[in-house]
Amino acid sequence: MKNKSAVAAIAALSALIAWGLHFVFTRFPTMPLAASEQAAHVDSAWNGLLIVEGAIYALVMGYLIYCVYAFRAKKREEQGQKFDRSRGRFVEVAWLAVSVALTLSLAALGSHELRALISDPTADIDIEVRASQFSWEFYYPQTKTFGDKLYMEKGKRHRIILTSKDVIHAFWVPEFRLKQDAVPGKAIPLILTPTKVGEYTLLCNQLCGRDHYDMRAIVSVLEHEEFEKNMKAEF
Amino acid sequence: MTEFFASLTAGVLVFVAGYGGLQGPLGRQAACVLAYLAALLVFLCVVGGAKAMRAYAQGREPEEKHGIARYFSFDVDHKVVGVQYTVAAVVIFLVGGTLALIMRLELARHGLQFLMPDQYVTVMSLHGITMVVVALIATAGGLGNFIVPLQIGARDMAFPRLNALSFWLLPPAVILLLSSPFLGGLDFGWTAIAPLSTQGTTIGKQLFLLAFVTAGFSSIFGGVNFVATVLTMRAPGMGWRRVPIFTWSIVAAAIIQIMGTSVVAASLIMVTFDRVLHTTFFNSDLGGNVLLYQHLFWYYSHPAVYIMILPAFGAILEILPVYARKPLFAYKLVAGALLTITALSFIVWAHHMFTSGMWMLLKLPFMVNTELISIPTGVVFLAVMGTLWKAKLRLDSPMLWALAMVANFLIGGLTGIPLADAPTDLHLHDTWFIVAHFHFTIMGGAVFGFFAGFHHWFPKMTGRRLNEALAKTQCALMFVGFNAVFIPLFWLGNHGMRRHVADFPAWMDPVQTFASLAALVVGSSAIVFSYNVFISLRGGEAAGENPWEALTLEWKTPSPPPHGNFKTPPVVAGEPYDYGASA
Repeated sequence: MKNKSAVAAIAALSALIAWGLHFVFTRFPTMPLAASEQAAHVDSAWNGLLIVEGAIYALVMGYLIYCVYAFRAKKREEQGQKFDRSRGRFVEVAWLAVSVALTLSLAALGSHELRALISDPTADIDIEVRASQFSWEFYYPQTKTFGDKLYMEKGKRHRIILTSKDVIHAFWVPEFRLKQDAVPGKAIPLILTPTKVGEYTLLCNQLCGRDHYDMRAIVSVLEHEEFEKNMKAEF
Repeated sequence: MTEFFASLTAGVLVFVAGYGGLQGPLGRQAACVLAYLAALLVFLCVVGGAKAMRAYAQGREPEEKHGIARYFSFDVDHKVVGVQYTVAAVVIFLVGGTLALIMRLELARHGLQFLMPDQYVTVMSLHGITMVVVALIATAGGLGNFIVPLQIGARDMAFPRLNALSFWLLPPAVILLLSSPFLGGLDFGWTAIAPLSTQGTTIGKQLFLLAFVTAGFSSIFGGVNFVATVLTMRAPGMGWRRVPIFTWSIVAAAIIQIMGTSVVAASLIMVTFDRVLHTTFFNSDLGGNVLLYQHLFWYYSHPAVYIMILPAFGAILEILPVYARKPLFAYKLVAGALLTITALSFIVWAHHMFTSGMWMLLKLPFMVNTELISIPTGVVFLAVMGTLWKAKLRLDSPMLWALAMVANFLIGGLTGIPLADAPTDLHLHDTWFIVAHFHFTIMGGAVFGFFAGFHHWFPKMTGRRLNEALAKTQCALMFVGFNAVFIPLFWLGNHGMRRHVADFPAWMDPVQTFASLAALVVGSSAIVFSYNVFISLRGGEAAGENPWEALTLEWKTPSPPPHGNFKTPPVVAGEPYDYGASA
């Protein structure tokens, strides 16, 4: 009998916490604007995790708060109740089974989105992005043009080929999500498909020394005609 | 104490003379390395190492000092070493915390306030490495050294001189770290990623590398000692099923210390070779491999976080049954879980490298392996939750710290999954999301766990009780302040706040200012703590043998325990957590 009311109380507390989380996450969106096709995959993986983990958090916190309130000792000499061993064993096995299943399904979800992100290496436009302490350089081998900004065309697949002249840097535009280091001695491709016209900021995301904080560049996503015009004007 | 100050002076003089003399013929980097090695040797000999070795060679008992001077000497009693580690950890924690407040002050608004960018990076790097040292030594080194031999009924550690050596390697490391800002500074965080760390000609960076290697040896010696002690020196009757869970956690951490630390030391020595001898391990122009550094570094440095957190798990699992007045739930399963974490910790390192440009299919196994760690970690939560069920909780300060640790680590653990998950990590990597995540695990988990253990064992270590009201105030201030600082940082990280930078877009100002103000609350908790320790040491209530009515062996001897720990060697006849009434 007493166990039933405890379960009801824990369920109510957990529901309250879950509602609170939901309220906060809708009021303050957890991710910035999504401006690339790849962002959709990242966000889908993220949202899956957010739901599962929000639920786990609500349940565990609900349980803990209930226990601390309901099982506090009123007098110091009171003693807790020992657990029945066979029921204890059942709880252990059940807990393990659930956590293994949950972990494997989260890993499966992650693998699924990872596959979507890395399976297709083809691209329409190549851009060589050369990093050095503390600036970015952009070169378009197909049109043999240099850019002072990173111009990209909406809806096209871009292969960003990252190189570095000195130390490790990293390419990150938060709205595009994906991040990739630029490593000396390597040319590392990163496929991005911008979906929204606008100006974004490219940030160096690997500590590269004194002026790392200031290593930024403007990213400009343009419609097809604008992009073509720019490629000609640039040279 | 004269030996202590003499050794410091001698060490500094040898370094300055050696560096000055060798700089001409050998160049700065080589001179710095050689002068440091000589200075370290002189320091260790003068501080008492030479005397201890002579006594050992002549078959004499080491000379015993009394009073406060004991703690400044090369004393081989595990209880002295435990106190030395604990005090060192707290002092370095206050230094690292001050650095954190300086950073939060700089970060209160966008743009640069009062630090130049290179100063900010230096402060940040030092905050990182000092806090890493704190997290590595506080619970494992401090509480572990004091409590583990008592808990298993041993007279001392297996290798008492090695124990003293492992502590006395730390002061030189900390002195090197704290002098590096005045000798060129650091610009590579606490990770010293090559080739940024092989660049540059100032010796600040070289001092960092030497300090890291020195602290590494300290850690290896400590790990060897713990494993040997627990393997061979348990009291009669203490089979593996009766070993207290805190001791289990220290063994689990010690195995990582032994197996991992040499690898990171190798990677830092390779960087030193690149700097001093112009080898090209990490120079891609001359056939080196840049990614090799990260593989070697993270092979240790991810397991290192388990050196920090496993003893904290052990501490709170040790504490919970005492204050819940019932047995630890799933004791055997959770002891196995701690060892499982140790085993898994060595096959997850490359989750730090999802964006590094390593072969992309490697992302998959490292993602899955990392997520598997949530299963044994879940078992720790099961033990916590099972122990609380139908308990009679005494909400004394150690219990409050333990519960706060569980609440923090729940967030820390859950936010680790999006970082293990490759698709989301590609966005979150190296942002403030991960900064907030590891602060929730290391600060919220390891440091709160340390404080739980500190409050639980302080009466045993000193013979006096802490002031409960102040202890609870400190806990409340730190819990609220800490959560208020770091929860907003998750959100900022997702929205484009990078790690390691002093500047950010103006729209982040309100959130940043809020976090800076909350940091002051955390700072105030440190003042309450220092005051509490100070007044309790001077006039705290006498603790008696067993103030918390606990069953493990450390409570069956006077507080503080006499030389040799037990008047009569204890024999174990029952389970360590046999509290409570049968149903």
